[in-house]
Amino acid sequence: MGFSLFANLAFNGLITGLVVSLLALSITLVFGIARFPNAAAGDVATVGAFAGLLGPLAGGGTLWIILCGMAAGALLSVAFYFLLFRPLAGKSAVSSLIASIGMAFFVRAALTFFLGHDQRVYPLPIVRAMPVGPLRVQPTDIEIVVAAVLALAAVFSILHLTPIGKRMRAVADNAELARVSGIRANRVLVAMWLIAGLLAGLSGTLLGVKTVVSPEMGWDLLMPAFAATILGTIGNPVGAVLGGVLIGLAQELSTPFVGFTYKLGVGFLVLLVTLLIRPQGLFAKNSLVR
Amino acid sequence: MLSYLLAVAVVALIYSLMTLALNLQFGFTGLINFGVVGFFAIGAYTSALLSQAGLPLELTLPCAALAAGLAAWPVALLSLRLRIEYFAIVMLGYAETIRLVISQEEWLTGGVRGLPGIASLSVGLGIPGDPTLVAFALALACVVGAVLVSRRLVHSPFGRMIQAIRDDEDAVRALGKSPGRFKVAVFVVSCLFVGLSGGLYAHYITYLAPDQFGALLTFYIWVAMILGGAGSVGGALVGSAILLGFIEGSRFLHDLLPGVSAVEMSSVRLGVIGLSMMLLMRFRPQGLLGGKAGCG
Amino acid sequence: MAEASLCVQGIRKHFGGVSVLEDVSFAAPAGGLSGMIGPNGAGKSTLFAIVTGFQAGDGGSVLFKGQDVTALPTVQRVRLGMARTFQVPREFGSLTVRENLMAAAPGQAGEKLRNVFFRPGWIRAEEAAIAAAAEEWLAFLNLERVADAPASSLSGGQRKLLELGRALMVRPAMILLDEPFAGVNPVLVGEISERIRELSAKGIGFLIVEHNLAALSRLVDRLFVLDRGRLLAEGAPAEVLADAAVREAYMGGSA
Repeated sequence: MGFSLFANLAFNGLITGLVVSLLALSITLVFGIARFPNAAAGDVATVGAFAGLLGPLAGGGTLWIILCGMAAGALLSVAFYFLLFRPLAGKSAVSSLIASIGMAFFVRAALTFFLGHDQRVYPLPIVRAMPVGPLRVQPTDIEIVVAAVLALAAVFSILHLTPIGKRMRAVADNAELARVSGIRANRVLVAMWLIAGLLAGLSGTLLGVKTVVSPEMGWDLLMPAFAATILGTIGNPVGAVLGGVLIGLAQELSTPFVGFTYKLGVGFLVLLVTLLIRPQGLFAKNSLVR
Repeated sequence: MLSYLLAVAVVALIYSLMTLALNLQFGFTGLINFGVVGFFAIGAYTSALLSQAGLPLELTLPCAALAAGLAAWPVALLSLRLRIEYFAIVMLGYAETIRLVISQEEWLTGGVRGLPGIASLSVGLGIPGDPTLVAFALALACVVGAVLVSRRLVHSPFGRMIQAIRDDEDAVRALGKSPGRFKVAVFVVSCLFVGLSGGLYAHYITYLAPDQFGALLTFYIWVAMILGGAGSVGGALVGSAILLGFIEGSRFLHDLLPGVSAVEMSSVRLGVIGLSMMLLMRFRPQGLLGGKAGCG
Repeated sequence: MAEASLCVQGIRKHFGGVSVLEDVSFAAPAGGLSGMIGPNGAGKSTLFAIVTGFQAGDGGSVLFKGQDVTALPTVQRVRLGMARTFQVPREFGSLTVRENLMAAAPGQAGEKLRNVFFRPGWIRAEEAAIAAAAEEWLAFLNLERVADAPASSLSGGQRKLLELGRALMVRPAMILLDEPFAGVNPVLVGEISERIRELSAKGIGFLIVEHNLAALSRLVDRLFVLDRGRLLAEGAPAEVLADAAVREAYMGGSA
């Protein structure tokens, strides 16, 4: 087990970490503003990945795959906001959480009923990996990193530079204050669900580009994404991204020691240990617990 | 037809043990357990493996309950430290991790190939007669026992306090009582039911594999509990009967519906569960029968 | 001064950069009727939360019956005899009024599961005793008619009485009331005041944080005024209300 093995694992960890980060950011935005952990995020990602299969009909290359996936994710996300989560807004977080799990199941059921359980791959040209120093890099790896970083940059720009983004952060920081100061909640919520859907769709397609497209991919991605969200303190966007990368690295780097199957468990272990030490996650503003 | 109904009824009874447990945890105490299936799996594999090691079922079934209770202990302590949303997600991960261990540790559990040839209830307990009928009688006895235990618990000063905790934890503290002790006790005791349920299941189906223990099963139980009305012992039974009757029935339904494959039927089941979770939360969080608690 | 039951020394609390409480000290005598007033945002709620252990202060100490309870959690302060009510009543909505009171009885053997299943006779006897105690307070608080109604069906004023009943079941040496008159109709304000007076005569101490100045000043024999995180004045109600600084702070000098 030499240096190059670990370098490659770390590189792969970074890529899966970015994919996890995107979904974690989606979850953390929903939590910050709608105040519940959205378990449907993973299956929105799956829908995005499947919609990505339509990409080649619109035009070639990874870009169209990604665009189709993001559009589908956004559409689904906003539709369920109006149909499901807006009517549930006044009730407890547990209601919305259970409903979101129901939505996850329903979406996956619809996918498997009409499209079956088969795995699919995007029709991308197969290119040999390039050696970069000790790393073996696929051209798609570069595309994934670029797409993820651009998307993260875009989301943080929106959050920090645009009026609607600033209102989102205001609501996330203090719902009561935001309500009193007369922020039009509906527009903020629609924008938030739109961004959350775009991010989930992107996360799904990038995972599809990296591996394969399957109906269970989103649900399997949900656990590491939740772990990343909590690790970075739920509701904290920067924390979610860092948490995602951390989880990705931990999963990949542990593979030589625990085997392929248990690498999914590593994310959970990291989460558990973190919570035992810091019950509010790594980036809690104040760790006051009773 | 009768034997088919009986077969469905056995599974519904086994599942309703879990519904009763979840009802104590969430319906009466407000504890969110999204890892029900993990404790079910622990019970099932414990009893199956012990019986394969030569222990009689009279011992392995109580051991199944104890193993699940033991596994619930650290988790219950964790619930005291974490925010409710964090704990819910940790429980999801906990159950998935248990399934991961089962599929990975082949030397013990047979891994994904499964664990075949588990002693059936009638053979293992040496009761002569139709195996399904024996299983039915035993499962029914266990459910009756669990109902009696639940009722005694709920109608005691202990039960009064857990409902108080569900209604307002801070107000309980203001009376000089720590909610923690009560929560841990409820969580562990009701996981005994879940473990027993797993044990019965192992010896009824006589074959175990990791894919029987997916997260979906946890939410079967949630939907059954909410249907019957959280916080109502009788409702838990009715909810289980309605829902699990349908779920189990649908396994046989594809024989009657030409053109729908078994695989498509499993999608339909998943879809129905998902849809009912959304519709219940949206329109009837108090369940069909209307429990005391609800999820609103 | 009479022997102090509750003694608060140098309490400070900041939220972010904002100082909510600055060096607040006061002492409420044992068995006495003390009140605390102050305009909105004076820090009353924060002080109340720190005294009862629901929040931690940034400095200072809380002594109860001569014992330093600053580091003790709420539950243990209550066990020492410091009961409280909430500004917005927090009844156990799905339990009946009677059950609310019975749940509050301290040290119940029936709250242990092994007793529930293996010593049913003991628990029946205990429950009868608790029910009798609850019955007495229900009668005292005039809640008998609604004893078996779910607590969620009560009116605002009845909920205040229910909370008082629950606190009494704890057998406290002192009860801290958080705005007992808020949202209560005038008739019931009189009734609640009367009950408090009777309880005080039985030796239970009270510290009442209240907005309703008129009702409070008629009730208490010692008044503290909190303003912008500082103790502005203390003394007999008549003296305190005559104080110019108090009139300035509390009534904007208009009265």
